[in-house]
Amino acid sequence: MSVTIITLDARGSLRSVTSGLRTVASDSLAPVRDVVDAVTRPVGSFLAGSVHYGAVQQQDEKLRAEIGQLRQQVLQQNDAEQRLRQLSALDNLPFVGNLQEVACQVIATDTSDFAATVTIDKGRSDGVTIGMPVVGSGGLVGQVVLASHHTATVRLVTDGQSVVGASYGPSGSPAIVAGEGWGKPLSGQLVPADTPLARGTLFSTSGLQGAAFPPGIPVARVTSASTGTVASQEIVTLAPVADLAHLRYVAVLLWGPAS
Amino acid sequence: MRRQVVVRLSLVIVAFVVVQQTLVLGIRVGGIHPDVMVLLPIAAAVVGGPARGAIVGFTAGLVADLFLPTPFGLSALTGSLTGYGVGLATVALDRSAWWLPPTAGLAASAVYELLYAGLGALLGQPQMLHVDLAGIALVVACANAVVAIVAVRMVDWAMPSASTEGMPTAVGASLR
Repeated sequence: MSVTIITLDARGSLRSVTSGLRTVASDSLAPVRDVVDAVTRPVGSFLAGSVHYGAVQQQDEKLRAEIGQLRQQVLQQNDAEQRLRQLSALDNLPFVGNLQEVACQVIATDTSDFAATVTIDKGRSDGVTIGMPVVGSGGLVGQVVLASHHTATVRLVTDGQSVVGASYGPSGSPAIVAGEGWGKPLSGQLVPADTPLARGTLFSTSGLQGAAFPPGIPVARVTSASTGTVASQEIVTLAPVADLAHLRYVAVLLWGPAS
Repeated sequence: MRRQVVVRLSLVIVAFVVVQQTLVLGIRVGGIHPDVMVLLPIAAAVVGGPARGAIVGFTAGLVADLFLPTPFGLSALTGSLTGYGVGLATVALDRSAWWLPPTAGLAASAVYELLYAGLGALLGQPQMLHVDLAGIALVVACANAVVAIVAVRMVDWAMPSASTEGMPTAVGASLR
């Protein structure tokens, strides 16, 4: 029965049913998640504060309370500045152009150890639907793969299933940027052997007809490129332009291939 | 009695889903979070044998799949196979032994994660093998070894009529 379900889902026959069920499940759990989060966050903060306090005590018993307080203020300030920077950055994304966007907060990361995803706090009620591109921190973050009424799941460009049609160089040569899993570099594919690629060369979305992303969004920069002795393609590794390790705010582009 | 089992089992599954999606997702060991949903088929197999392990594995897996970006049904398939396997492997053991739940939780959770990645790759998701499989198996197994006793207690409460498939009734009774 499991194999039948997997097969039907993969073929798309069950997609509407599973998508509906996932929406209901996610919407049902959202209030519970909020309550638990509200309860556990102060406890976590308290524990983190205790650890921090203890470390300061070892350094200087006399001034530990004062130092702890000052450090906490600095951390809070840094945290606030980082949030502000990320939010401000969303207001000024040059590659977005006239596209409409929805600013979102990242509320969870990686619901599965086998996929690189984040959960955002906007869903279908805000116009977010499956397939929409997600940007932030200076580049492409990923694509919406699940959307419930109030939340959505975004597959990051580093996920093993992520494939982005891209172009590079002055002539806009086509290539594919594929994810290799969380924490691993991206791989550039379809780059002909012996193509001169300097470190830092930018790969942007190609936006070819039927592409899953609009053109011109920075995706990744080259970190290394080499050609094997008999290879017809260059082995290209890239680093995402967006800082995926510290995502807090992102923007969903209200765009689809038909736009 | 059957309705009571369904209601209780549903409550246990919902409780595990809530814990997994709220508390457990916030716990990271080397970037990997534990997965307590894996424990349900293992606990059901320890309490009720292979058939019940498979049924609970399928049901709990389907529910878990609702929250995962991986192929729908993959957790159900892995859960039923794991549940059945644990039931078979423990059939000749004294299921009232204190060490059985943590040991089964440890070993079967590791096997589950490897099976999950392997089946995922087999079903067209080769990237599922390109993760830190050893790390995932280790983190999930160790966490589940600790939580296994609680899981077995909860499943045992949910399936009071679960007998004793493959074991003496007296032993089954002692679990309750």
